[in-house]
Amino acid sequence: MSTQERIEKMLKKAEVILAAGGEKRVAKQHEAGKMTARERIAALLDEGSFVELDRFVRHRCTNFGQEKKELPGEGVTTGYGTVDGRLVYVFAQDFTVEGGSLGEMHAAKIVKVQRLALKMGAPLVGLNDSGGARIQEAIDALAGYGKIFFENTIASGVIPQISAIMGPSAGGAVYSPALTDFIYMVKNTSKMFITGPAVVKSVTGEDVTQEQLGGAMTHNSTSGVAHFAAENDEDCLQQIRYLLSFLPSNNMEGAPIVETGDDPMRTADHLNTLLPDNSNQAYDMYEVIKAIVDNGEYYENQKYWATNIITCFARMDGQTIGIIANQPKVMAGCLDINASDKSARFIRFCDAFGIPLLNLVDVPGFLPGCNQEYGGIIRHGAKMLYAYSEATVPKITLVTRKAYGGSYLAMCSQDLGADQVIAWPTAEIAVMGPAGAANIIFKKDPDVEAKTKEYIDNFATPYQAAMRGMVDMVIEPKNSRPTIINALQMLESKRETRPAKRHGNIPL
Amino acid sequence: MKKYTITVNGTAYEVEVEEAGVVASAPKAAAPVAAGATTVSAPMPGKVLSVNVKVGDAVKAGDVLMILEAMKMQNEIMAPADGTVSDVRVSAGQTVGTGDVMIVM
Repeated sequence: MSTQERIEKMLKKAEVILAAGGEKRVAKQHEAGKMTARERIAALLDEGSFVELDRFVRHRCTNFGQEKKELPGEGVTTGYGTVDGRLVYVFAQDFTVEGGSLGEMHAAKIVKVQRLALKMGAPLVGLNDSGGARIQEAIDALAGYGKIFFENTIASGVIPQISAIMGPSAGGAVYSPALTDFIYMVKNTSKMFITGPAVVKSVTGEDVTQEQLGGAMTHNSTSGVAHFAAENDEDCLQQIRYLLSFLPSNNMEGAPIVETGDDPMRTADHLNTLLPDNSNQAYDMYEVIKAIVDNGEYYENQKYWATNIITCFARMDGQTIGIIANQPKVMAGCLDINASDKSARFIRFCDAFGIPLLNLVDVPGFLPGCNQEYGGIIRHGAKMLYAYSEATVPKITLVTRKAYGGSYLAMCSQDLGADQVIAWPTAEIAVMGPAGAANIIFKKDPDVEAKTKEYIDNFATPYQAAMRGMVDMVIEPKNSRPTIINALQMLESKRETRPAKRHGNIPL
Repeated sequence: MKKYTITVNGTAYEVEVEEAGVVASAPKAAAPVAAGATTVSAPMPGKVLSVNVKVGDAVKAGDVLMILEAMKMQNEIMAPADGTVSDVRVSAGQTVGTGDVMIVM
């Protein structure tokens, strides 16, 4: 064979692989409103930056006549490229090839980019669109999943791992995304469940559609499994690019500093009038966030789930921060099981990747009730205490209003290691709600009403805490932004170490 | 009523056994909600402070239907969607538990 013939043979082989599952299946993919694996990678990465690996990998299964089957690219496209000029590894399952099913070599391609991403300290983005295990490959397929899960876990906390569900993801396949940091789901086309509607029906008798059981909004608003919802493939991939803009490439690097053009000294006069005079009335915590962060811009994690607490990325003077904020407008901003889970995981992500934490506190307490106690609010709430105590990144706490009892500790009081605690004059830092406290103290007093009022005036304030140095400063609300940015700059050199251990034992 | 024949020491006795009526009444089931109706249920346990709407009122998504005092806060309970109020199941001063249906639209 001449050299020319050899080159032509290679090009021909490549052509077959680039055609993926063939015109018909590609057309079907498009009809379903989905992009192909290669189109998705092209939309995710900077133009022309994708470098493909393992194009010619082929399965080696000989069961059930599989040896005669050509599965272009093994049903997954893998490689690397850049997002905003920064290195990112990617794999995209190809539903047009045998339903994107996962076999031994399909898994091996994924594992290779997982290891490379870890070695290079670059984020890994997984685009999932697969019918599940390639059953013909039997336990080789099963072992493939196991290897992927293992690499996901080893890379956790070292590089950001992002999963997008852009089609089905059922059975064991759901656990690779579940082990990563963030899950995106595309509305209408993505589904995630351990067992599908047919099995559910046969076991429990429940009639449920795929969408109800594991659609994008089910996991974004009910189960809390997913973190972001996207309108379509394009929107999903653009959102992932946006998320990456806030994140460092690995746990040893800082997040990119962005020139946002917003004056760090900018004050926000309307914060002085945002809070109602009656502290039993709600206000919108988003207004506080928008007023203090650069250009009012933030990217919210788990926006539709446990909405009594807000978790989001934003920038202050160009530096990425993670915000955890009580939302008085939803369930009075109380902490419950879901709010604890949502925020603890977010805090730990930020701490793992060196992202400073800003805690905006207006919390009346933990939600009472049998549901909560039986559901284990004790062990779930403990996650927040654990996550904050364990975190060594800069921690700034701003108390806007209520900060009662254990729930205040769970929002990172000074005792849990907040580096700077700032309070508005409206802050009510107390051991419990003042009315309840007065009721206990003055129970037998004939003049209980007057005493309660006096108690509220004296104890539902920031000054009891400030007198003991538990609050570093009390400021005018309008000065929040410059004050926080100053604290962030002061904390840049923060170094805090913890005793050496194999790992802690967070309550789960 | 059921009849049994029981033999004791070789002598057969005919006995009648009657099942006593079920005394404990079933727990009061919540009134069913018509299919397709939107329900507004209590997000947490608390006390109804005021109800701003009555049956027949047309409301828009985001309108404040009632105030629920819970967790030391006067929580505004808002209409989840546009619609007409078809049932108001609570009144001022009443306490509610998590998930109790308060208003049907």
